[in-house]
Amino acid sequence: MLKKLQSVLLALAMFLGVAAVAFGQTANGVVVDAQGQPVPGASIIVKGTTTGTMTLTDGTFTLAARPGSLLEVSCIGYATKDVPAGVNLRIVLAEDDLFLDESVVTALGISRERKSLGYSVSEVKSEELMKNKQANVVNSLAGKVPGVNVTQSSGAAGAGASIIIRGANSTYEGRDNSPLFVVDGIIYDNSTSVLGNSATDGMTRSNTTYSNRVMDINPEDIETISVLKGAAAAALYGSKAADGAIIITTKKGAEGAVMVDFSSKTSVSWANKLPVAQTVFGRGVYTDNGVLDEQTYSQWGEKIAAGTKVYDNIGTFFRKGIVLDNNVSVSGGTKNSSFYLSLSNFDQKGIVPNTGYDKTTVRFNGEQKYGRLTVGANVAYSIARTDKTLTSGGLYDGGGTGSMNALYTWPVTEDITHYLNEDGSKYRLFDGIWELADDKENPYWIINKDQLYDQTHRFTGALNARFEIADWWDISARLGYDNFTTDSYTYIEPGSVVKDLYQNGRLNKSDYNYRYLSTNVMSNMHKTFGDWNMHLLVGTTTEDTYRHNQTHWGYDFITAGTASFTNIATANQFFKDATIRKRLVGVYGEFGASWKNTLFLTVTGRNDWSSTLPVNNRSYFYPSVSGSFVFTELIPKNDVLTFGKVRASMARVGKDAEAYVTTTTLLAPYKYGDYTLVGNYYEAGNPYLVPEIQTAWEVGAELHLFNGRVNLDWTYYHSRTDNQIARPRLSQASGYSMTTINSGSVINKGQEFALTFIPIQNRDLDWSITLNASYNRGTLGEFLEGVTKFYPTDAQFGTIQAASIPNGGVFLGMVGTRYEYEKDADGNEIMGGRYAIDPNTGLYKVSTETDALVGNREPKLIGGLANTFRYKNFTLSFLLDFRIGGAVYNGTEYLMVTAGTSPITTLNDRQSVTITGVASADGNYNGTDIKAGEPVTITYNAGESYTVKGVTYDGKAMIQKYWSNYQSNSSNFITDVNWLKLRSLSLTYDFTSLIRKQHVIKGLSASVIGTNLFTLTNYKGMDPEVSTAGGTGGSGAAGIDYASVPAVASVSFGVNLKF
Amino acid sequence: MKKILNIAVWSVLVLGLASCDKWLDVNTDPDSPTNEGALVENRLPWLQHYYSYAMGPADMRTSCISGALYSTNPNNNHLSTTWNCQPGSTTTAEQIWFVNAACNIPDLYNKAEKEGAYYYMGAAEVIHAMGFMMLLDTQGEMPYTEALAGIASPKYDDGKTIFNGCIDRLDHAIELFQKQQEPGATPFSYGDMWCGGDPAKWIKLAYGLKARYLLRLSKKADLFKPDTILECIAKGPQSNDENIFMVCYNSANDVTDYWMRDPVMTNPDWDYVAYGSTQRISKFYRDLLVNMRGAGVVDPRMPKIVPAAMGGIKVKDGKLDSYEWVRSQGVDSYGPATRLLAGGSTSIQTPVFASDEVKIKYPIKDAAARADFIAGLGGKQYDLKADTVEVTYPKWSLYCSSNNYIYAGDTIYVNIRSNSQKSMDGSGQPALDVNWYTGSAQYNAGVVGSTGSFQVHPNSDYDILTYHEMCFIKAEVLFRKGDDAGALAAYKAGIKAHMDRMQKELAAWETAGYSKTNPDMTPMSEADITAYLSSAAVAQSASDLTMRDIMLQKYVAMGFNIENWNDMRRFNFSAGNIDNYGVVYPGYDRGPLFAGQAKLVGADKNDPQYWVRRWRLPATTELNYNATNAKAANKHATSDDIWSIPVWWDCATDAEYYGYIR
Repeated sequence: MLKKLQSVLLALAMFLGVAAVAFGQTANGVVVDAQGQPVPGASIIVKGTTTGTMTLTDGTFTLAARPGSLLEVSCIGYATKDVPAGVNLRIVLAEDDLFLDESVVTALGISRERKSLGYSVSEVKSEELMKNKQANVVNSLAGKVPGVNVTQSSGAAGAGASIIIRGANSTYEGRDNSPLFVVDGIIYDNSTSVLGNSATDGMTRSNTTYSNRVMDINPEDIETISVLKGAAAAALYGSKAADGAIIITTKKGAEGAVMVDFSSKTSVSWANKLPVAQTVFGRGVYTDNGVLDEQTYSQWGEKIAAGTKVYDNIGTFFRKGIVLDNNVSVSGGTKNSSFYLSLSNFDQKGIVPNTGYDKTTVRFNGEQKYGRLTVGANVAYSIARTDKTLTSGGLYDGGGTGSMNALYTWPVTEDITHYLNEDGSKYRLFDGIWELADDKENPYWIINKDQLYDQTHRFTGALNARFEIADWWDISARLGYDNFTTDSYTYIEPGSVVKDLYQNGRLNKSDYNYRYLSTNVMSNMHKTFGDWNMHLLVGTTTEDTYRHNQTHWGYDFITAGTASFTNIATANQFFKDATIRKRLVGVYGEFGASWKNTLFLTVTGRNDWSSTLPVNNRSYFYPSVSGSFVFTELIPKNDVLTFGKVRASMARVGKDAEAYVTTTTLLAPYKYGDYTLVGNYYEAGNPYLVPEIQTAWEVGAELHLFNGRVNLDWTYYHSRTDNQIARPRLSQASGYSMTTINSGSVINKGQEFALTFIPIQNRDLDWSITLNASYNRGTLGEFLEGVTKFYPTDAQFGTIQAASIPNGGVFLGMVGTRYEYEKDADGNEIMGGRYAIDPNTGLYKVSTETDALVGNREPKLIGGLANTFRYKNFTLSFLLDFRIGGAVYNGTEYLMVTAGTSPITTLNDRQSVTITGVASADGNYNGTDIKAGEPVTITYNAGESYTVKGVTYDGKAMIQKYWSNYQSNSSNFITDVNWLKLRSLSLTYDFTSLIRKQHVIKGLSASVIGTNLFTLTNYKGMDPEVSTAGGTGGSGAAGIDYASVPAVASVSFGVNLKF
Repeated sequence: MKKILNIAVWSVLVLGLASCDKWLDVNTDPDSPTNEGALVENRLPWLQHYYSYAMGPADMRTSCISGALYSTNPNNNHLSTTWNCQPGSTTTAEQIWFVNAACNIPDLYNKAEKEGAYYYMGAAEVIHAMGFMMLLDTQGEMPYTEALAGIASPKYDDGKTIFNGCIDRLDHAIELFQKQQEPGATPFSYGDMWCGGDPAKWIKLAYGLKARYLLRLSKKADLFKPDTILECIAKGPQSNDENIFMVCYNSANDVTDYWMRDPVMTNPDWDYVAYGSTQRISKFYRDLLVNMRGAGVVDPRMPKIVPAAMGGIKVKDGKLDSYEWVRSQGVDSYGPATRLLAGGSTSIQTPVFASDEVKIKYPIKDAAARADFIAGLGGKQYDLKADTVEVTYPKWSLYCSSNNYIYAGDTIYVNIRSNSQKSMDGSGQPALDVNWYTGSAQYNAGVVGSTGSFQVHPNSDYDILTYHEMCFIKAEVLFRKGDDAGALAAYKAGIKAHMDRMQKELAAWETAGYSKTNPDMTPMSEADITAYLSSAAVAQSASDLTMRDIMLQKYVAMGFNIENWNDMRRFNFSAGNIDNYGVVYPGYDRGPLFAGQAKLVGADKNDPQYWVRRWRLPATTELNYNATNAKAANKHATSDDIWSIPVWWDCATDAEYYGYIR
């Protein structure tokens, strides 16, 4: 089998012209394995040259080599060997599994041999990340790791992405389901915060762009990313690890000469798909009796007359995005010290004019040894600024529209770029007719006049010390600090479409400060007793989190032109601040034992004390046990199955509450005449709260075939998170709209599969394929009695709302409105049957069930296929990422149907619509009396009039009503989405070998990289990878596409220079 | 070395754990005080305010059902016109009652109990009863015994339990008000906005409420006790001076409420009826004010209640030169409803004043309709081209901004809108001018869009319990007992008391200066009052008096108050099947735009389910979050016909009631 495979590969290699022909003296011989069997397809290269060959099927080879030169003999599955050139050589290669002794970074930054682990860990290395380098490291993980689901929230510059491992575990919006990020041992905040305060600046998750804070990391600094998926893997991290952990290790200097690495990249991006507006019908709406009213932006009017100018408003609006990305690092070291220093700038201009994202980072990593003591420091500083705009919606409690919302519904007969009059004053289509507050804002006004940005200064630092007491015992301590301040600024120009109060301008500035200080002291012992290998680790940690948000806002500028608080009367200036403080103490330990490298067992335990829980419940303990069994140690060595392991683990992890949820607070007092009024807030405190507890187990297997040419990894996992700390809306009879309670459970189960296949690996040709696939099924278990739908958030888009269904229903559900179906003899609806028609409206009857489950947003399967192909100095890589299933709601289409701009509304040239179904009740249907349940077909024609329930309607009005009726059926806008995306395609040429004659430049390469160049999907809207409202709280907003900034595709060119 | 390290590590650990508890005590929000700190003197006025504010939506929406209001707001229109009631109408009152008001009751009561502040405890009990009675009236069944108890999914109680619970609370309150507060307890006057801290007045309130509630039992042969009601009335308010009401303010210093963003100190019915432009007076209500008993006599209260706008305006140098007041017509939903039938149930427009000459082209295909339209233009300049009529509206004339001819006549309807200081922030409109203007140009020219309505100006006193209501209850009870003479006296006293109550407030407004800009805020002519009271619009002899007379005068006096719908249910609206009282509310009926077949399933007027008898439970709160309990309490809880299921007191017997819900 193996030989056959090798022959095929060899033939392929020959075909590709790998075998080089060279002249000169000949070296020849045979390459065999330890058993004396010939090794075909082994690569033989004359060291220091490009001369080389491959062994034939009988293991023999011949090539030209000067005497005294060295031959480098290599083959997948064998250790590479150097032998002096000669004739009749017999070269014996030792078997070597490429992955066998690999170690990976696990919890608390401890490196362990992969084979010893009882749980699944995936590692992504620097070069993998760089193949499709993104400003946001989270995005670079998409499609690469099984079980990891990454969703980019939009194509706006600076937009964040959400990452969820093995399904979300917490129901409630305020509970982060994002994994814990740890960078060089420092717990690193990755929140996506709505920075201002929706009450003071109108900002909500869905109306502008927010970054997730891992974007502050310079991806070039990363050496490896280790993804700890399950509770067992992450248990030592305590409360924060229930959602998995992502351990990032940054680069270190290596012993030797100082190395300078410079890379520069320029990329161009564009919207990969835009909505299209119909250009057949113009502005206007028909009133019930058929009178055309043209005082509207909607396109329900007459046909656009020939010769009328039609504008491609949507196409004109977006520009090409440009990124300039420069990075330089200096590293080096001696036997006892090392350092790494980097500087980077990422400057992006977004596809929406006047938006951008600009990030500058500095990092220093250093380490010094003094005998048994090693001390180290990692510090990073970054400044990130996002210039953004209102997108999907207007301001909360402020009125108006977002730029995307207006853009997608702007009438095609109006030139959207015309937003100013010649004298510079604002141009309004219905000036003098419509109140400003009721108008639709021109997107150009929003992007040119309003100003929105945020800027984050972040400092992270860690001090490490490690003391080796003995060769089997060391103690280490770490102090970690993560601090950032985000200033956010929202300026609404006087004259904007906002509610009356803010029409003379509005200004909001807010400072958000995050401070996190952690300490960690740990003792680590390991010792071998005969066949037994053991280790023991104990440690303690403290965490202190402080968040402070101060907002200042005001409205009504005294004089035009000065956007400053000094230009606002004191009475119209306000401020507010909010402080959040959490502390946690943890004590943990781990004991591991292994026998003959065959059986491995690890147990861990951790106890946390969290400040956020009631005093009596604040201490909680959770254990984990995991083991692996390398069964290939017990079977005879063979060529096919070189390594096989089964693993299993089980763990519990606790998750504490949010700060202050144990007490009920008071609202700000009111004055009423001579009285002062004080009352309770609408949210009740809960002094009985207990921690959320996740119990998870997983089993898996890892097989290496053909000496590591083919590696398979499979995992099945199951997790159940009980005592869900949620803040659901409640029966208000409790006196409160909500309280934080332990409400039920979330269950996630799924499988992950990864395959690595290396068909060819030799000096000139490398080809590797990795395929991963995974699925997760999230359900809500038992939940609060009486709750039939759990809404993690109040956010609604169009007719739908994200919801989870208790008692075994889907976690990532979507509820909405729907048409009613016909009924059986017992009066029960026949779901999926014919639609019922309502005699009161003459249209499809809208069901009274306003919260029907209309979709499951969870994909059935996700995965990625990566291919890397290197031929000599060329490297070609591409990553295909696929998804099967998972509902997406096309809210953009919904908006466009409302506005009459959607092409689907030109059905039958708007001359007629036909509804077919059954009578919902006895009544008169377009002039005919029909009994309930009997079939009804009605066609409404544009030129006629119809009497419905005594009121006469013009046919055109009925056609319009048909479409507004169409909108109430959420399913009309929902697609179960499949996609295949070419996530990245890169071609790199390494010039190093061409310039090896000099000693200055040590490496030079150039790359062309394309991202998102191609998407094959059944989704009719824009990019199907959507999450209008971003964030990872609760079941999140993935699968909701509502007037987002379109996703982008890009091409970049970069060079990398080392000297 | 090892030992030292060992010791060091363990001491750090031990010391760490010892000081750990203190270090972890950071779970109190430094920016928000906790509920333990609130004083009873601050909580009671909060409760009084929010109780009233919960009544705002209840009053407004039940007034749509009772036919006093017509609304263009879709939800409310379904209550006022199509009767195809929508779940969205039912949330606000319940929500404000529980979340803004009632959650304070346990904290208030317990803190008062610790102090021995019995009057605060009594006030908490009275308001508890009032709030839950409103829920019983609207929802029928609600969590009562398990409500406000920290239970996330409280079980429901039936109407009977809630009713008896409310009466018990009133009795308990009366006991508490008869006590002396403990020394050191917070003086009642510090925190009582309604009665200035007078426990005697609270006792009258409690008895008056008992009379109101016991009257609800009029369908129940076994439980209806006329004499008990009369005893309660005797202990309730005896004159307008003993009315219990909340003073409301139109103040520039007011702030907006955190919840619904309404001003805090304005009249709660104003907040819901007259803040926006969606409500009009119904024809049904207006007819009672211009043609009571078919007498054709205009009630002196009419111009105070029915709003007017300016018409026939002439402006000179930007200032108003001459104009006339055009009194609103009522919108017809129950009669032929010609206008609504032509344009749709919510189609009534809000007219505006032309700030410049406006020409509107009305395409009218139908020749007859076109001729009618032209005939109805009343002298306005027009131009006819093919089937399009172009009408010229001179500057400052009232017109509807639409080219749909069906809407053009909507200038006869004036919306019941008043401006408040908070709603007009920054406009410069002074506090003593509560008129509504259609825009800033109109405001600057002084062109009034609506004078508003007596009960729902932002500064109108908000009635909690009035002497005139007591009179009407007495009249009804005596009439039922066969004491027609006594009933007539009480009926007349009721009308007079209501007019006096209005007159007193109108005079106060005039003194304050509101009437300078608003003619409807001046007192009525005493001569008109006298003339009206002795006219054929009022029954003048005991033999002439009917139940209809009593209830229609009560209807006029109660206006936009939930009690009108409660009364109408007791008389089965216009079914005329209660005892031998005949049709008590003539003209009230399903109209031609009726679309509520699925909800109001009764086939004829005598079927209780022909009418709107309750509200569906609030979807966003109870049905989504407490569905299991809701369904256990009433098998119809989630079905469409819930709207026509009578509440407990609306049934003659328990058997009838449980027949519906179980």
